[in-house]
Amino acid sequence: MKITSYLYYIFVTILETLLRFFPIPAKTGYQKIGNPDKDSPVLLTCNFHLTILRLKKATRGLNYHLLIANSNGINVWCASTGGHLNNHSVISVIKISGIEKKVNHKKIILPQLAAPGIEAKVIYKKTGWKVLWGPVEAKDIPLFFKLNFEKTNQMRKVKFRVLQRIEIAVMWFFLAALFLMPIWGPLYGVEAVFMLAQIFLTYFLVMMSFPIYEKIFQKESSKKKSFFSLGNLVVFLINIIYAAIGVVLYAIVYKHDYSWILIRWSIVSFVLVLIIGMDLKGSTPIYKSDTHQDRLYDVGIDLERCKGTRICIDVCPRNCFEMIEDQNKVSNPRKENCVQCGACIVQCPFDALYFVNKAGDIIEPETIRTFKLNMMGKRK
Amino acid sequence: MSFVLMKVLESAPHRYDKGMKILTLGKIGKVYDALTEDIKENDTVLDIGCGTGLLTLRAALKGALVTAIDINPEMLEIAKKRINELEKDTSVRFLEMGVAELDTFEESSFDIIVSGLCFSELSTDEITYALDQISRILREDGLFLLADEIKSKFFLKRIINWFIRIPLVIISYILTQTTSRTLKNIEEQVTAAGMTIKFRKSNFLENFVSLKIINEVKK
Repeated sequence: MKITSYLYYIFVTILETLLRFFPIPAKTGYQKIGNPDKDSPVLLTCNFHLTILRLKKATRGLNYHLLIANSNGINVWCASTGGHLNNHSVISVIKISGIEKKVNHKKIILPQLAAPGIEAKVIYKKTGWKVLWGPVEAKDIPLFFKLNFEKTNQMRKVKFRVLQRIEIAVMWFFLAALFLMPIWGPLYGVEAVFMLAQIFLTYFLVMMSFPIYEKIFQKESSKKKSFFSLGNLVVFLINIIYAAIGVVLYAIVYKHDYSWILIRWSIVSFVLVLIIGMDLKGSTPIYKSDTHQDRLYDVGIDLERCKGTRICIDVCPRNCFEMIEDQNKVSNPRKENCVQCGACIVQCPFDALYFVNKAGDIIEPETIRTFKLNMMGKRK
Repeated sequence: MSFVLMKVLESAPHRYDKGMKILTLGKIGKVYDALTEDIKENDTVLDIGCGTGLLTLRAALKGALVTAIDINPEMLEIAKKRINELEKDTSVRFLEMGVAELDTFEESSFDIIVSGLCFSELSTDEITYALDQISRILREDGLFLLADEIKSKFFLKRIINWFIRIPLVIISYILTQTTSRTLKNIEEQVTAAGMTIKFRKSNFLENFVSLKIINEVKK
């Protein structure tokens, strides 16, 4: 890799990671990766610029045809669950990019996380192309190719690694800084920098210690999450200590009493903890958001309809399903892992899966396919 | 007027019409009225990207046989409801499909094709494909009526539009994390597809255009 393209990659990655809350659309259509021939595989991805950049880096040295479908500049998982990366995006790019003249097969590898939004059955019916669900992460693609397009169990799972946690913390921090700096900057001067650093520190700590913070300190009561939990208290205390150190430093440097800083920074901490606590689980890829108790659904299985196709096992990013081999049916023994993405329900060719909540309300597969998860709250 | 906020509205279809009215200062209705004035009874009409059915409704009220397509099922639900609420017999068929599936229609099967605020959502390749298909499925001398947001050809007007657009882009990004695009060179693309622009009307700032296009030559 040339030094200039390496520098470009680093620069764009940093910039777009900071701004990754916002969609950054790339041009849709066909791209050649390496030197593909008529038998080379066809891969499809979204048109979020950062995704394409990372995909290309992870697959350097491979030869394949890449189709970039319109997802309004949003990443694969968010776009497909939100209805932005849908059947129409895929049909459009297959028919209009001219891919049919470039290869002599009709097999397309889609990212597994696109499964909540794209129906393999519809794509086949409308275009004649057969969908194969690829790995969750781009870094597994070289091995996926080597294994002759077979996925290992690890390739199916969504993870929340340290680097990804830092990325999310940085994203939220940068967003906060973007909005708060124009107000705080002129008001508080240098102090604003300390206040922003405090926000970053808090969010970073919470994100990094996430399962512990959530499981031990935030233990939710069955009715409603309470604000005055042990976890919030710990975070609050850390903030107060941070503020106290700030006051002492100020006093040493400026030789003056700055104890009012303690009050102001405490208020900031209080609001911050409140905001973070609101949807902590929802800002991770491995838990359901728990802001709305009435929107929590489990996946139900209609065993009469289940024909043991294993498609749900293939598309589930949380490893919820298990095969009951002697009956050729599927079961979901790890229900608690489910993040409610809906991929299994959308893909099941026999409509054997559905959403069901504690009250027994059912959302049929057809409703999920049509409206995705957008209307989760509105549907009864 | 700018239509950047339509993204906000698209994710909240039940507020779409109210929002459009405010954004266009109440003009959208008049623009659409003028655009559809040539539609007659029993014309076969195709509405590409019907949204909440503003153009579909106008065509249906004139007694035309309308096929309305859109890729957004929520929008289609609202459009269906709008037509069903009319206390009048209309002939409207709704289909969930995008421009990529225009090839499923028969040759010369429509008298008139309408499209409002849809082409600016498409990629350049999709526009080229759509125009080719429109020229095929529209009958000879049939009309293609288009209303959309465009990029002005005048530098100064572009600058002014740019300044109006920036705050709206920011607002729509915050609310929906998306934005819309403007059409570039649509008139050149229409001509390249072998159709002729019969009538053109745009506002003073040249950021919105209505076109009446005639399908003169059949390939």
